[in-house]
Amino acid sequence: MSDAFIVDAHAHHGRPGAFFAPESEPEALLKLMDQLGIERAIGTDHVSVFEGCERTLPMLRSVFEQSGGRLHYLAVFNPKRASGCVEALKQAMNWPGFAGLKIHPSFHGVSAEDARYEPAWRFAAERDVPILTHSWSASDYNPAQQLSTPGRFEPLVGKFPKVRLVLGHAGGRGAGRHEAVRLARDYENVFLDLAGDIFCYRLVESLVDSVPVEKILFGSDAPWLDPRSRLSHVLLADVPASAKARILRENALHVYRIGAKKTC
Amino acid sequence: MTSIEEQIKEMADRRREVAEKLRFFDAGIWLGEPAGFPLAHELPLGRLGEALRERFLSGGLVSHWYGKVSAQDGNAVLMQAMEGCQEDVYAAWTALPLLPGESGRLPGAGSVPSKVKAARIFPKTHNFSLTSWCVGGLCEWLVSRHMPLFIWHVETDWKSVYELARTFPKLEIVVETQTQKILYHTRPVFALMCDCCNVRLELSNFAGQGFIEYAVREFGAERLIFGSFLPVNDPLVPMGMILDAKISETEKSLIAGGNLRRIVNEVTS
Repeated sequence: MSDAFIVDAHAHHGRPGAFFAPESEPEALLKLMDQLGIERAIGTDHVSVFEGCERTLPMLRSVFEQSGGRLHYLAVFNPKRASGCVEALKQAMNWPGFAGLKIHPSFHGVSAEDARYEPAWRFAAERDVPILTHSWSASDYNPAQQLSTPGRFEPLVGKFPKVRLVLGHAGGRGAGRHEAVRLARDYENVFLDLAGDIFCYRLVESLVDSVPVEKILFGSDAPWLDPRSRLSHVLLADVPASAKARILRENALHVYRIGAKKTC
Repeated sequence: MTSIEEQIKEMADRRREVAEKLRFFDAGIWLGEPAGFPLAHELPLGRLGEALRERFLSGGLVSHWYGKVSAQDGNAVLMQAMEGCQEDVYAAWTALPLLPGESGRLPGAGSVPSKVKAARIFPKTHNFSLTSWCVGGLCEWLVSRHMPLFIWHVETDWKSVYELARTFPKLEIVVETQTQKILYHTRPVFALMCDCCNVRLELSNFAGQGFIEYAVREFGAERLIFGSFLPVNDPLVPMGMILDAKISETEKSLIAGGNLRRIVNEVTS
């Protein structure tokens, strides 16, 4: 699509081991982006999410280059391999396509407020790069989500007020949502993305009513979730077109400091 | 209006137009207070019509959350709520494997009101086994009335659904993708769909990348049923998967409502 303008601020690529995904490679994502008018996506591969970024950044750079500059990447900081990750980050910081850091307390088994994340926050603060984190509500069937509830991020959000933190999945489907909304209201540097299976009725309308629209970013969580599931949720929501433009594009460009061809 | 806002409006209008044309018929509309979903609010009956129109739904099957607490009482409350309801909606009753002497408003013995077009079971919540010696009588009754059996995947296990589908090949079984998304279960679900052509899949939580195209290619559009789980989930989510799917218009129409309407029309009361 020549007039693509949407930015998917939370995507993945690569074959996930935990389930069968009929489409998961970067080529499939790009094809879908062409169909849907998505200009670029920001994300990472599955290996990085599990391990951290030490050995995956050159591959991610190559995917970015092969995508014609459309698949930006985040470096996953694994707090259990902090020094190796920081070294890799220093190298990749100025590479084309590098968009920021990602942390995933639930996968890495280290609670969000743990001091072992401080090197990542310090790195982000010193270099003006954002952090995307997994966030969710406490869950009966997935106890690890307890490590990523939004309130746990608050001490580091307060300590590093210049670091833009995106709470991926906007705190999930339960009580975590209230915490995420509170943080996005109370802290200038906290943002929410719409990725994941937060399929709640009137979610977009409710978030637009609850936080400044500048705080909400469109994201898909592809290939775990198909961008098509979220796109109509935003496009057909009962909110003004100006709010949709911010959610679908401008907010991500601002948070991730990505230069873009089009302006509104 | 900026050029991007105009593009957004155009994209939305296009989807709105197709959604109206497809006449979505929803397998999962719920009345009563949603249990276990702290952010969801009850859909008042007075708002049902408005809620359906606002999300481009032409009608569907309505269930009541109270049916999960007590099948008989939930079915009674549902029928009371639906009295005088003008919408193109039908009831999905909660069913139990009946024991001699069991009374109340239940599918499985005698006749049911003509508005009842489906039965749903909750084997885990209601503590019964999905084996033929336990639910066989109910399944035979459903087959005799061409009434479909709905079941949330979290209320059973894949092996039990497979065995039930093989034991009752004429029973229409609709596996619902609630209350957790179908993702980690893709291997058993797809194997089940391959082997048991009387199993259909409801789509409210079937949103992995490329899932719709894959399912249509491998199992056929006839096997997929649009459902939303309103008012917990937003119908726009599964709707978006269908509106933008790379499948034919006929296939979209079957999934959006054609399949479920056909099943509902074949039920004898």
